[in-house]
This record gives sequence, structure tokens and C-alpha cells, in this order.
Amino acid sequence: MMAASLSSKVVLAQQQTGGQVAPATPPQTGLAPTPAPPAPGPVPWMSGLDNLKPPALGEITADMVAVTETRFFTGLQMATLRHLCDLLVPPWGKYPGALEAGAPEFLDFLIGASPLDRQQLFQGGLDRLDRESNEHFHKAFAALAPAEADTLIRPWLRTWMTDHPPTEPYARFINLAHADIRTATINSQAWAQAADAQSRGEALYWFPVDPDLRRKLTSAPGLAPNA
Amino acid sequence: MPDSKPDSKVDVLIIGSGHSGGMAAKVLCEQGISCLMLNAGPIVDVQKDTETRPAYSLPYRGFKEPGRLPHVFQSNEFNANTWVDEQEVPYTYAADQPYNWVRVRLFGGRSLFWSRQSFRLSDYEFKAKSHDGFGEDWPISLADLAPYYARVEEIFRVQGKTEGLPQYPDGNFVPDDGAWCGAMERLSAAGRKASIPVCRQRRSLGRDGLASSVNLLLPDAVRTGKLQAIPNVVVRQLTTDRNTGLVNEVHFVDRLSRREMSVKARVVVLAAGTLESTRLLLNSGLANSSGVLGHYLVDQVYGAGIVCSVPEARNGKSTDALMDGGALIPRFRNLGKPAKDFLRGYALNVYSSTHAMDPRNFATYGADLQQKLASYHGSGLSMGIMGEVLPRYENHVSINKDVVDAWGIPVLHIAASYTDNEKNLTRDAVDTSIELAESAGFEVLSKNYEPNPPGYSIHELGTCRMGNDAKTSVLNPWGQSHDIRNLVVVDGSSFVSGGWQNPTMTITALAMRAAEHLAEQMRQGAV
Repeated sequence: MMAASLSSKVVLAQQQTGGQVAPATPPQTGLAPTPAPPAPGPVPWMSGLDNLKPPALGEITADMVAVTETRFFTGLQMATLRHLCDLLVPPWGKYPGALEAGAPEFLDFLIGASPLDRQQLFQGGLDRLDRESNEHFHKAFAALAPAEADTLIRPWLRTWMTDHPPTEPYARFINLAHADIRTATINSQAWAQAADAQSRGEALYWFPVDPDLRRKLTSAPGLAPNA
Repeated sequence: MPDSKPDSKVDVLIIGSGHSGGMAAKVLCEQGISCLMLNAGPIVDVQKDTETRPAYSLPYRGFKEPGRLPHVFQSNEFNANTWVDEQEVPYTYAADQPYNWVRVRLFGGRSLFWSRQSFRLSDYEFKAKSHDGFGEDWPISLADLAPYYARVEEIFRVQGKTEGLPQYPDGNFVPDDGAWCGAMERLSAAGRKASIPVCRQRRSLGRDGLASSVNLLLPDAVRTGKLQAIPNVVVRQLTTDRNTGLVNEVHFVDRLSRREMSVKARVVVLAAGTLESTRLLLNSGLANSSGVLGHYLVDQVYGAGIVCSVPEARNGKSTDALMDGGALIPRFRNLGKPAKDFLRGYALNVYSSTHAMDPRNFATYGADLQQKLASYHGSGLSMGIMGEVLPRYENHVSINKDVVDAWGIPVLHIAASYTDNEKNLTRDAVDTSIELAESAGFEVLSKNYEPNPPGYSIHELGTCRMGNDAKTSVLNPWGQSHDIRNLVVVDGSSFVSGGWQNPTMTITALAMRAAEHLAEQMRQGAV
């Protein structure tokens, strides 16, 4: 088993056979750096950009105005998921519930982008919820009253510690779905707007850490400050 | 024409920049020895490389990006870019032996991210074989390392309380004499009834909230003017002089351009982290006349434990005085009377908090869950295992020639698993935690008997162990290769056994001791 889904050998092979690429360092032709090629016009391409500040565009996140198009779960599975979301994480005080937070649609995206075992866990779990609903109540899970749905959910709830969800597949689905629905709700913009400053889910985000690209030349390795 | 312009040798070439490489650089540079440090990743500038962001603004709303870093349980969408990419540097294992190899290649390595728990090993660890007959003793004792521990503790500003317990050796502490929170006092009383010591935690205060190589060690080396560093170079191989057998050249590849380069060195110090140092030696075909290079890999059992609630802290009555604290229950098994079904032992980490509890601790949902969370807010207390893993020959790493990393360097195959000894001591740890918690009047909400996969603790140790006998060990008691006297390994791969303790203080003290010995050898012309 490999700790990677893609062999780096494959990556490397592509690098080696992918055709000619520019050398990392241009060949030295004299004491001065090689000049940039001339632009096909009267003004150099990069002219005027040195002092540009990002324009104040009134940037918003897409969730503020757009809906997520669902593409992974079937219509029946989405209906089951939406009802499950509404039951597990309903609105609470000033906070939105999972439906208001767009959790079902976000999870359709997230699970659809996930490895197969996670996809199958959710698909199988939602199918079973609906199947048991039909067996016991002769109607779809999406149409169950809360007390009816409770008889199908509560027996499978467990307490569990980080990284150790239940191992039995259906209990695993119920408990992981619950956790994921809560996270998708609490980490939503709708929740952040309702929350006080301490509860907005903010944390230190690390950008891809690549060298030198965002560094000033004066701090380049091996150069004295006045070089 | 020669391949490269400079024909000069650096005095000491250090591979790796974490606590061990940082300490080696500090010691050597302060003694006037020039060092060149190579690191596989870039230098971090937190001001430029980070930003406080709300989870909703990230592509995956704070969830881990699906399929990324599956073996780094510690990762999330906020910190994903700090860990080594598993596709860029893969490793392999058998399907029934999963291993979590958690790596950082930023300058400073994993010293940037650690829990600050700061312990000495005791002679129950250094002389474990003498105590219970299993494995090997270290070639050194606590008395040998104690002076170095004391100096490292001063640099790291280790806060602790003198306890007087042989299995929890005292040190050179910033005194921790403040009041203990009520929950810990109650647990301590329960411990006394069961003859189990409940002690204060010990942690590095560091400087300005950080206790890393980059702020505690490397600045001292830089101040001497003797340290140069090259980031973003991945070392491929060490080669030796055909006549002397000494290591004389280090071959590396530029991480970005993939230009292949080499540099000559009088001495090479390996500080790339336990498994990377061993991988480099295996790929180089060096330092393995004993045949034990790569073997006796250990780590520590993590992940099992319990979560409780302190009833008196519920319903808005949680206070710092009652709930803001922690404790450390050092190993208490197999110090005298043997435990019935395992060797060695474990410690328990205890933390209490005035903050919200995790909803996973309640088997309910909806409004009922919200009420529970509100009622239990600030009453949570957790106990988690740090268990010793026995050093076994069969737990080992080797080179998988069929898989290479992004620079064409063959990767490691890791074969490590826990056996009944680790499983039995884990079960004992959880059962004992429950007994102590219930004796203290706490309500146990959740428990887990299943350890996380080996490697999770980020305390991988061994594979390049030290010893007096060159036939059964890779390094001498000073971290020098038995086979190649100008090759020194200063990271955690030199460990003979791992104990339960966070190894940072021991790694750093060993690096200090090895570097001082190396400097003296260089002065004498022996290296």
C-alpha cells in the first residue's frame, strides 16, 4: 500500500518526458541579466504594474448570493439528507440550522469530491434510512415526523472520541453524518454572521509556503542588503 | 572543466534544521566551527505565509480537503500546507500495517509545531533491559545526560515542579508553584488512594510563545557568523572517499529547479528526523556493517483514553479555579511488582477546560444536544495515554526501490505494528483512567481503547540506535557512526528505546552532547 494516491514516479516520468522546458536559470551572455523579450507593441507588458494595489472590488464569498448546485446524491438521497440535516441540527436561538447554512448542498459537493469509501458510506447510509422508513412507516424518510425519524436514528447514536468513530458501518454513517452536518453548519457564513467574534470559526490559515516568490530581493539568500 | 566551481570543503555540513540540527549548529558555531545547514523546505515567514481567515472562506469550509494528507490526522484545511505532501514524498506499507508518517520540511522542521511537553528519560528507560530483561540498555545513563538536560531546560525554559519520583526525574525548572485547579486536586486525591502519582505537567515556555529551533537555537548560531544555510534542497545521497572510507560529499537536488548539486564536507551531521536520516543512510549504502540500520523502530501509543465531565462545573459554575489545568500521571506500572500481561508502562496526560465540550461526547442530537452542550459547558476533562512501544527487530524500515519521490529518490517502506504488549498496556491505561475518574467523582462520557496507527504520535524513534557494540548498533554512545567516524547522527534515530516521554528534551540534550564531543574530536584532529 502506498501513502499516496498518485505515484511520484508517474509525476517524475511526466516531467522527464513532457517535452522541452525552459531552463531554471537563463544562460549567462554577459555581466547584465538577460533582458526581457520585447513586447509586440509600443509598451513593455509589465509596465505600470509595480505600484498597483489590489482594487477594492467589494469581494464577497459565493455563498452570500449563490446556491450550490447538487450533482452527487440522487434526488431521493438529497431529500433524505435534507430531512436528516433539519432533524440533527435545527435552528438554535440566533443561530441558523443546517438547512439555512446550506449544509446539505455543501455536503453533496464535499462527499462527491471524497474518496470512494466515504461516498459509499453516505450513499449506503442515506439509502438505508429511506429503506427502513418505508419498511416501518410506509413513507419516505423525508416525510417522517420527528418522533418517527427518532426511532430510526437514536438507536445508532454513540459517544466517540476524536479519530475513532464507530466501526460498525451504519452506526459509523449516522455518527459521522451528524458530525459533518454540524461542522458544515457551524463553519458556514450564515453561522459566522450570527455569531459573536469569538465563535466565528476563525483560525490561522497557512498559504502554500513556497520560497522566494513573495520575498523582496533585498532579503534574497546570499545577497548583502546593499548588493 | 570541473562540474562545479568551488573546490572548498565546509567544516561541518548539517542536514536538517529542527531541534537536533539547530542544537548541533548552535554548539558547533559557538565553538568556532563553520557549519553549512541544508534543509529540504523553505524558510517560513509567518507574517507573509499566514492570515487569519474564517472557515467559510476556505474552499472546503474548514473540512480537510478530500483525499489530501490521509495519514496526517493532525491536519486540517487551515494548516494543510505545512505538512509534507504525501504525493510528493510517498512511503509504502503493507495493507495490514498502516503507518502515519507525519512530516514537516519547513525550516525548523517539526520544532515549529509541538506540544511543548518536556520530560527527561529515567533510568527505567535508559537501563530498561537491566530492569525487565527485554531489548537492550542504552550505553548511557541518566547521570551521563543529566548535565545536558539541565542546560537544554534552561534554554527552553521548562516549567515544572520538583516531584522526587525516580520515574519522573526532576530538572532545571522554572518553578511551577501556582495553585492547581480543583479538578486536578481531586484527581490527585483519587490517585493517592490508588497509589498512583498525579503530578504537574512540565512544558517548555520558550520565548514569546515559541519553543522552536528557529527562535531558541539557530539565532545563537547565526550570531557567531559561522552558520550558512541553504533552504529548498533535498539531499539524495552521501558518498565516501574511496581511500579513507570517510564521508566526504553530499549530493542534493534543488527542490524547485531539480538541478543536481554536491558539496564536500569534512564532517556530516544528520539531523533530518528519525526516518529521513535513516532513509538517507540506506539510500547511500552506508553505516550498516551491523545490519541493524532501519531496525528497532518505535514510537508511542497515542489515541486511547477517556473524556469526562466534572459535575460541579456544570450549569454555568465552571471557573478557572476549578477547571483550568492539567496533570501528568507518570509511568507507575512495572516499577516494582510486575503487571500481569505487559512489560514497561504508560503515562496519562490529563487536561481540563473551561470551554465548550465536543458534541461527540453526547449520544443525542437537535435541541436536546444543544441543551446538553450548554449544561456541560466548561466541565470537560480528558485523560489520554502515552504508552511505550517495545523495540523489536521486526519493526523496521527499508528502501522500496519501486517507488520514488518527486526528485527520483527511492522511498521508505515502513513495517511496524503494535503487538499484545502495546494492546494490553493500552487497555490497562483506559481501565485505570476510568477507575481514577470515577473515584474522583467525574462522569465518564466517552472512552476509546483503540490506539491510533503507529507513527501518529510524531515520536518515531530508533532505526539507527546507539550502543557500545558495533555489531549490534549503528552509532557509538556519542552519536558517531561506528563505521564512519566523521558521520554523526543527532536526531531521534539514535534512541535504543523510546519510553513514554515526549522525546524532544532527550533528542536536544543528546544533540548538544554529540556536538560538543564532535567539536572536541575535531580540535584533537581525531575527526
